[in-house]
Amino acid sequence: MTLELFMVFVASTIRLSAPLLLAASGEYVSERAGIVNMSLEGMMLMGAFGGAVATAFTGSPYLGLAGALVAVLPIALLQSVLTNTLRANQVVTGLGINILVLGLTTLGYREIFGSRSREMIAGFDPISPPILGDLPLVGTVFYQAGLLYFAILMVALIAFVVSRTGLGIMLKAAGDNPHVTAISGTPVMAIRHGAVFFTGAMAALGGAFLSIVDIHTFTEGMTRGAGYLAIVAVIFGNWRIGRVMGACLLFGAATALQFQLPAMGIQLPNALLIMLPYVLALLAVAGLVGRQTAPRALSVPFWR
Amino acid sequence: MSISAYMFSDKRLAGFNGVLARLAVPLAAVLAAFTIGLIAIIAMGVPLGDAVGAFMRGALGSPYAISASLNRAVALGLVGIGFIIAQRAGLTNVGGEGQIAVGGMIATALCLVPGMDELPAGLAFILPLLGGAVAGGLWAGIAGVLKVRAGTNEVISTLLLSFIATWLVYWSVQSENLLRQPMTNSATLPESLPIPAPTQVPLLTGSYASPVTWGLPITIVIAIFVAIMLGRSIFGFRLKATGLNPVAAARAGMPVNKLLVGALVFAGLLGGLAGALMLQGEQYSLKSGFSSGYGFDGLVVGLLARGSVTGVIAGALLFGFMRSGGISMEMAAGVPSALVGIMQGLIVVMIAGAAYYLDRSATR
Amino acid sequence: MIMRSGGASSSGAPLANNEASLPKLELTDIGRDFGSFTALDGIDIAFRTGEVHCLLGENGAGKSTLCNLIFGVHQPTRGFMTLNGAPYAPNGPHAALAQKVAMVHQHFSLIDELTTVDNLLLGRKFGLVDRKAEAAKILALAEEFGLDIKPHAVVGDLSVGQRQRIEIVKCLMQRPEVLILDEPTAVLLPDEIEALLKVCADVAARGSAVVLVTHKLAEIRKIADEVSVLRAGRIVARSTRPAEDMNDLTTAMIGRSGTGGAFGVASLPPRAPHARSRMVREALQIDGLSFFDQTGARRLDKVTLTVDQGEIIGLAGVEGNGQSELGSILAGLDHPSEGRWFVGGKELTHAKPRAITAAGAGIIPEDRHKVGAVNAMTLADNLYLNQTKSLTRWGLIDRKRQTEGATSLMKQFDVRAQGPAAPFSSLSGGNQQKAVLARELMTPNLRFLLAMNPTRGLDIGAIEAVYRSIREAADKGIGVLLISSELDELLAVADRISVIYRGSIVGTRMASYDNRAAIGSLMSGTATQ
Repeated sequence: MTLELFMVFVASTIRLSAPLLLAASGEYVSERAGIVNMSLEGMMLMGAFGGAVATAFTGSPYLGLAGALVAVLPIALLQSVLTNTLRANQVVTGLGINILVLGLTTLGYREIFGSRSREMIAGFDPISPPILGDLPLVGTVFYQAGLLYFAILMVALIAFVVSRTGLGIMLKAAGDNPHVTAISGTPVMAIRHGAVFFTGAMAALGGAFLSIVDIHTFTEGMTRGAGYLAIVAVIFGNWRIGRVMGACLLFGAATALQFQLPAMGIQLPNALLIMLPYVLALLAVAGLVGRQTAPRALSVPFWR
Repeated sequence: MSISAYMFSDKRLAGFNGVLARLAVPLAAVLAAFTIGLIAIIAMGVPLGDAVGAFMRGALGSPYAISASLNRAVALGLVGIGFIIAQRAGLTNVGGEGQIAVGGMIATALCLVPGMDELPAGLAFILPLLGGAVAGGLWAGIAGVLKVRAGTNEVISTLLLSFIATWLVYWSVQSENLLRQPMTNSATLPESLPIPAPTQVPLLTGSYASPVTWGLPITIVIAIFVAIMLGRSIFGFRLKATGLNPVAAARAGMPVNKLLVGALVFAGLLGGLAGALMLQGEQYSLKSGFSSGYGFDGLVVGLLARGSVTGVIAGALLFGFMRSGGISMEMAAGVPSALVGIMQGLIVVMIAGAAYYLDRSATR
Repeated sequence: MIMRSGGASSSGAPLANNEASLPKLELTDIGRDFGSFTALDGIDIAFRTGEVHCLLGENGAGKSTLCNLIFGVHQPTRGFMTLNGAPYAPNGPHAALAQKVAMVHQHFSLIDELTTVDNLLLGRKFGLVDRKAEAAKILALAEEFGLDIKPHAVVGDLSVGQRQRIEIVKCLMQRPEVLILDEPTAVLLPDEIEALLKVCADVAARGSAVVLVTHKLAEIRKIADEVSVLRAGRIVARSTRPAEDMNDLTTAMIGRSGTGGAFGVASLPPRAPHARSRMVREALQIDGLSFFDQTGARRLDKVTLTVDQGEIIGLAGVEGNGQSELGSILAGLDHPSEGRWFVGGKELTHAKPRAITAAGAGIIPEDRHKVGAVNAMTLADNLYLNQTKSLTRWGLIDRKRQTEGATSLMKQFDVRAQGPAAPFSSLSGGNQQKAVLARELMTPNLRFLLAMNPTRGLDIGAIEAVYRSIREAADKGIGVLLISSELDELLAVADRISVIYRGSIVGTRMASYDNRAAIGSLMSGTATQ
């Protein structure tokens, strides 16, 4: 593999992992607070849809991002009320919401775009950051969408808040043992609601990355399981934000390889590469890859 | 004490309310979802009569339409029955999709084994059906073993196994070394060879105008068997005790771990059988994504049923006809079939949201 | 009138605030009802700064309720409290904490996955935390009271004693004026208990009123400045010289002298000493059984015990001395770390529950809701929970036979319910217990019956019925091991009583009221063989 080809591979790995990273870092926050957001897929899809619609109507991808955030609000509210207030089964609720959002976005897309479904919407151009972007060879790696840099910033911010602040301690405590946490005077319910909304926002941006940044249009069910893959990244990342990011990059690399390997003349079934993340995650939850330490109260509803 | 006070005194209310609540919530959810669907149709400016007419024609309008709906209901029903078996042991099997995929894939492989089509007495299609079922059972059994050995949450493992299974199907039809038909030219589709006629599940009527397969009576027999098993057999009794209180079940000498694995294997068997039936009774060649949506719809059917086999059958028929009707509505009246998806999603969300309160009133 | 008994505390700090006339916290005529049940009544008590005040009493005597009233978890139904002479009526723990009243609960409020520091910071601030500085502050506080804690260790990796110290530090961070400890020593190892008692003395010496709940007399002798004994929700004895009044305190704690009339066992006829033949086999034989829990703490220490056929052996002991662990092992839910045990000569050391039942052992577990029955199933299902196979033909349960069998069992054991199909959860506690008893007594080839606290929470009628059945079983030649913390019940029902203390059998006496005081002192660890 030549160096240039390798740099192309690295750049596309990062680009392909960006939507995963956005969604997974949001899901990480939810799961640390004790909630499995199985509706991540639906939240991403809603974000992709809202982003595409808002961009198409305003012509501004920035307003598109705002549109993604607005569109996901009712979905996040539904998820949060069902799982926190009504203590519904988090997995079932999530799957239901995913079915619902797939229907809603497909229907909405047909109704809104209808005839002009092939039109491209405005998007973000990649930016080349100063100094880094001018480096020889590796400079191309940094030629990425601004939203990606935002994602990395968010990961750093989440890592900081979780490890260095009182809020972070409360978040982890709420996911491990909500009842004891509540005794300490921590507003567990508010934290859990907040976590779901934060996840919704991050997932929506991940979805918008797909529609606004990547392919400049919306297609039916365009997330194609990216939300589930982001959840898998959190599991495989063993609920540690650094490892979750690593998992996203690994999954991005697996996808990038599907395009790169044939170019390099290597014949490897690409199904194997697509399957890899799920197999790794299964081995991880089976306890075959180190010790899994999921938040103890993960998916357990809390009430006083 | 007035008569009404007597009628609604605690004890009477408990029994009456229990049955009512079990039926009322799913019924109300279905009604609400249909109402929202109708409103959406009106909002889209489609004449209601056209849409409803197209829906009815697609679901019930011809022997072919009814047959297609029934075949769909068979697959959903099998997955749904599997779901409630696992549920009885306190497990949530969300892996129906993968169990279908593995079942269909293994059934195809068996159908294409040289000599399989020459077997006498129906074995040509029975063996692959059984093979598919066993494969689905083993696939789900992985989640069961992980549960009792490593404490892995079965929701996560069955979901992951689903993804792996669907990509295994994709792989098997991409590779000529596996199940892909020989590539004669660049237009050769990534799918398996059609399975030989003797390995196909026979049609009940023998006519392709109403292609209901023997899967329907098989499923009815299974449904009756499972209803008796859950309601009257010692296996069902032990599953129930394990699901409700594993410690007390263990103290009473029940093999709790075996029951947990057994419940998932049983669920997987039915999922695998559903996949094999879809393949050998309808599609005849394996394609990537052939199981798409069936597993999750089946899960929803199982969920709606709240533990009752009769409920599964009702739900499977409802969803089978809804999906068929939806497709026809899209083609004939221009109402996207996604509307059916919205209605299904709403039903799930409403029932899931009400579940806690239902369970609480049921145990009081 | 307040006198610290000689040599009780090693702290030797001067009792500066020993002004007997001015209690820190005073309760006047306090009562608390839960529904129709009176948990506390007519409680007058005063806690003074600089003193360790012990609340002594059996389980269910009302000690925890009293603590919860002071800490604001519950509110009194009657009476009033004053703190520093001003009215004190906390409407919740937060109100209590705000007034510098803190409590160390029996169950720790710690998050296992977080470090010590994070646990102590939880809920206190949202923003940036400087763990180094916080750890230094916490360590300084801990050292002041001689508490050894590890600030950066993950709580889940720590021993019970270490966790308790974190709990105590959490309270001390509030600089409490009143510190309540609810049975803090129940979970500790002997040397940890010593250390904790010293901490209590130190906290008191530094200007707090310490309320220590316990049912261990040995601790009281070491530490208490004053003792109040609770029984059935009332204060039945007080002492300011506990070391000298040990025997009276014991008597007060385990009940009035005389026959145990108040326990529903008075109407039982005296049990004729059963005729022992030389040929009887042991129903239960326990040989050198030891058990270590997950943290490695020794919960059972070489327990050796024999129950002959037709004999009722009572196992007395204050709760938490290894009875639960022994019960769990005999039920087949745990396996011993050392030693062996047999029923009717058949070794069951590593047997599963099914083999234990097959060997003819009936088990009435401590917790009938978690272990003894499936609440959400019917009475009939629960009556046959471990014998369903006997009703089964070709894999199907014969519901008709089940209903008939259940109906006759209900009659035989006087289980009152709407019918065999009634949900188990709809039965009263007494009827639930009678149903469990009926099932276990119907065990085929029954030779041995384990009954753990079989009458807890039952009314007098049910208690009598339960014991009648158990005695009838013994009269038929079944060996019974009856584990209870109610000494009077054991005295009335058993033939002999063994006492378990800190995981070992410390003595055996004939079940006679004459031996009550001796057994009581064995239970409290004040006497040895």
